[in-house]
Amino acid sequence: MSQPTREQIYHKICELLKPYNPQNRSITLQSGIVSDLEVDSVAVFDLVMELEDHYDVSISMEQVSDIKTVGELVNCVKELLEG
Amino acid sequence: MSTLFDKYAPLQARVDMMMKIGTDALGVKFDDILSATRGRIDNREILLAGTNNYLGLTFDPDCMAAAKKAVDDHGTGTTGSRVANGTYAEHTDLEHALAEHLSMPSCIVFTTGYQTNLAAIGGLAGDKDVIFMDADAHACIIDGTRLTNASTIRFRHNSPEDLDKRLKRLGPIDGGHPLVVIEGLYSMFGDIAPVDEFVDVTHRHGGYLYIDEAHSYGVFGPTGCGIAEDQGVLDKVDFISGTFSKSLASVGGFCASRHKEFEITRKVMRPYMFTASATPSNISAARAAVDKVKQGAHLRENLKARAEQLHRGLSELNFDLCADPSPVIAVRRPNEAVAAMEWNWLIENGVYVNLAVPPGTPQSSSLLRISLSAAHTKTEIDAIIGAFKGLGENQGEMMQSMAAKLQAAE
Repeated sequence: MSQPTREQIYHKICELLKPYNPQNRSITLQSGIVSDLEVDSVAVFDLVMELEDHYDVSISMEQVSDIKTVGELVNCVKELLEG
Repeated sequence: MSTLFDKYAPLQARVDMMMKIGTDALGVKFDDILSATRGRIDNREILLAGTNNYLGLTFDPDCMAAAKKAVDDHGTGTTGSRVANGTYAEHTDLEHALAEHLSMPSCIVFTTGYQTNLAAIGGLAGDKDVIFMDADAHACIIDGTRLTNASTIRFRHNSPEDLDKRLKRLGPIDGGHPLVVIEGLYSMFGDIAPVDEFVDVTHRHGGYLYIDEAHSYGVFGPTGCGIAEDQGVLDKVDFISGTFSKSLASVGGFCASRHKEFEITRKVMRPYMFTASATPSNISAARAAVDKVKQGAHLRENLKARAEQLHRGLSELNFDLCADPSPVIAVRRPNEAVAAMEWNWLIENGVYVNLAVPPGTPQSSSLLRISLSAAHTKTEIDAIIGAFKGLGENQGEMMQSMAAKLQAAE
């Protein structure tokens, strides 16, 4: 299976963010997950669990703590997939 | 000009909203505590249904006498940490008593329950180890992982299958070991871990299983050791932590291990080494309570009966309860504002429960959380059920009152 592109990972993250974004704020690569989208800290970890399962990667909580924006989360997944 | 506190503006807005509806649910002040189940605010007597006083031992005459004697014998404080002048004969005696109760060769006592997990997890996991933590783990477990340089992976709540999947996904850990951290009884929803299955999965992957039995020590198992004892796997669990501030009616905490090598962590655990030890009275009250726990089958039976009574009563009123009957019964509410309004109504009508809101709760839920005590009588449980019935019947009045308060605050 070919590796997903950054674009595909971004769209997957947007899809997974939906339940945590009831006000339907627009999501860009620059959006702060906690600061702009107001996703609470526990929900961020729940979202990451979904991503881990979808891409079959392990993302540690320490890595998540360093991620502030949607773009940084895309980069993290991409880097793990390229291993 | 910006200030240091600007970042708390959204939180301040939440608190302001709560204060407009009523009082601060996270800052209740009791003017007196009359018994394990009764308190006083101003001149009103309050039925306590949110104090985690599971065995009701805070007013047990033997526990009180032990605490008073300790003050007479050794004074009010230790003024030193466990590694300096803060280890008294009572601290080691309590460690031996708990180790013996849990049939484990090692037990270490800490100053609070929070510090216990902070210290033990921080001391156990090294740079190359990997912590696997249940998704609903308490803040002190999360904070414990932050004191380490180990990686932490979260697995789905109460799912040994999900843990298995994540352990497999990570594969062999070069130079380290998995440390799996779960709780026995989860404090928010009151649901129970399948510890026996977690033992199997953890050990199959060469890992160590750590269980926080803060809310289950004293409450479950034939001799009160907790959920692991209840499920017949106490001898297979690597580490058991607990607190003195629930069933043991004091303040402090412990971690016991079936590995005698656990003792070496006394020399590395920062929240053990760099804080004052628990006071003589705290330690002596907990020591007396350990004996009560061991002989407390009658207390556990009453607690179980009261939990079933309350669960049945609230279910009949069609409240949405988060788990099967246990000493923690959480009532799910539609949102934070409604939960806060109802919490205020309950305390105004003489019943204290806990208001629990995100991010302190799983699934972003807003809860009215009840914790029961063996000291609760059948009549008191009926009174709690009656209060919740009133809550349902007075929704209209409550909404009007909230609207009026919000308007008045504008």
